[in-house]
Amino acid sequence: MSTWHATAHFIAHPPPVDWRDDLARRIGRRPRRVGLWTELAMYGARCCLDAADEAALPAGARIRVASQRGAWGATHAGLTQLDAGLPMPFTFMQSQPALMLAEVGRCLEWQGDASFALCRDAARALQLAKLGAARDGLLFGIVEEERNDEPPRTEWWRLVPA
Amino acid sequence: MSDVYLGGTGLACVLGDDVPSVLASLRRGGVPPTPVAVAEGIHWPVYALAPSEGDWTQRLCRTVRSVAAQTGDWGPRTAPLFVASSSLDIGFMEHEKQDLRLGGDLQDFADVVARALDWKGPVFTVSTACTSALNAVLAAADLIRSEEADEALVIGIELDNRFTVAGFGAMQLLAPDRAQPFGAQRKGLVLGEAVAALRLTSRPARWQVAGGANVVDGRNPSGTEATAVHAMCRGALAQSGLRPGDIDLIKVQAAGSPVNDAIEVEALKQVFDPLPPLVSLKSAIGHTLGAAGAAELALLVGCIEDGVWPSVDYPLDASLGIALSKEAPRKLRNILLNVVGFGGGHASLVLKDAGP
Repeated sequence: MSTWHATAHFIAHPPPVDWRDDLARRIGRRPRRVGLWTELAMYGARCCLDAADEAALPAGARIRVASQRGAWGATHAGLTQLDAGLPMPFTFMQSQPALMLAEVGRCLEWQGDASFALCRDAARALQLAKLGAARDGLLFGIVEEERNDEPPRTEWWRLVPA
Repeated sequence: MSDVYLGGTGLACVLGDDVPSVLASLRRGGVPPTPVAVAEGIHWPVYALAPSEGDWTQRLCRTVRSVAAQTGDWGPRTAPLFVASSSLDIGFMEHEKQDLRLGGDLQDFADVVARALDWKGPVFTVSTACTSALNAVLAAADLIRSEEADEALVIGIELDNRFTVAGFGAMQLLAPDRAQPFGAQRKGLVLGEAVAALRLTSRPARWQVAGGANVVDGRNPSGTEATAVHAMCRGALAQSGLRPGDIDLIKVQAAGSPVNDAIEVEALKQVFDPLPPLVSLKSAIGHTLGAAGAAELALLVGCIEDGVWPSVDYPLDASLGIALSKEAPRKLRNILLNVVGFGGGHASLVLKDAGP
């Protein structure tokens, strides 16, 4: 299964001003207790699947997400709350890539093989994601919060073996 | 397609700094958790690594070198390296000044590990909370099966940090005293620190990684979901070409959660009828989160090969209708290792004794 093609490529870099409203429209609810990074991931994943004209991600597909900085804002806030001796259940949850995967799966109403993996060579991370994937293919995303002058980015590909 | 084998293991945890010392400690009855302060007046027990000299990064590098060395000589070190962790370098960040924190990125931790090992091959980070190490094994197995690599090193790492302990404490998931998987008086999980290494190889060895599955279900992000347990078990069995009746032992998740332990048992009963013997390792080393898949696999293989078995010195919950095995089953060909994690992650691995 060495040849793949993209049935959709969605990029929001930066997302439009009303992206949160757009996400709520697309999934029929406003996410609650979800951090910015996770919400960006949900938005990109849903938009990419819509662009692929797929109502649902097949059960046998994989989701793979990469990010250099992850939930930076929530992690930073959580450390500050820890310093202050404050309880931080929601901030802690928002800092975890696993929670992002859970929320992406939930907003797609999908249960399956989702993972967060990265490599300095992004092409290797994508290649790894393809290895062993089933014919239902892959939903691959790169999600970054805003950093310095770099705007937030959520970029996704729906890839299937040719 | 190449088959995938376990070519070596390494482990440092509360019980010791290498597999022989870990097994010797287990034989003596183990080591209790120690209290870790997360805020004034708030302590939680943790199955911690023995204290050692140096700062956080020095301890990380020294432990990683020691544990990786237990898996044998790696020659030029050009194989893929998978660093699996839930907390990554948050323990280091806790000691940094606030404005210097998180200045790098999520791959920095794996880079530090790779430098400690003088590693030349590609380096991956896998971070999916408690299923991190099993997901790293599944990814490494994909590489070997597709003949993109002959070998791969998976290292699961969870080192001391207050952030994780405080986070789990704030979510009211922790027990105040000790871990009692499936126990009548279980009150939650007890975290553990560990560094564990797995050498995966295409060269035939006693233990074959026959298959596995990873299933994320977001409906209950801090708990076990029965349909996901079904899916992970059935997926791992299908990839291994096995049926439920072929499994001789299940290494359960059983973190000691009042609710999740019960869901896990019910879900397993729906896949396996009758249930094969069960073993739990978390009362010995705690829940080592992102390292758990590697640490518990290394410990279980060590127990089987050395004839040591974890004792259960607390009453089990009779309402669950299960028992934990008191010794290794006499017939032990296929083992299922289950890890269920924070964030709705559920992962299974089938380990097959490929020996004569």
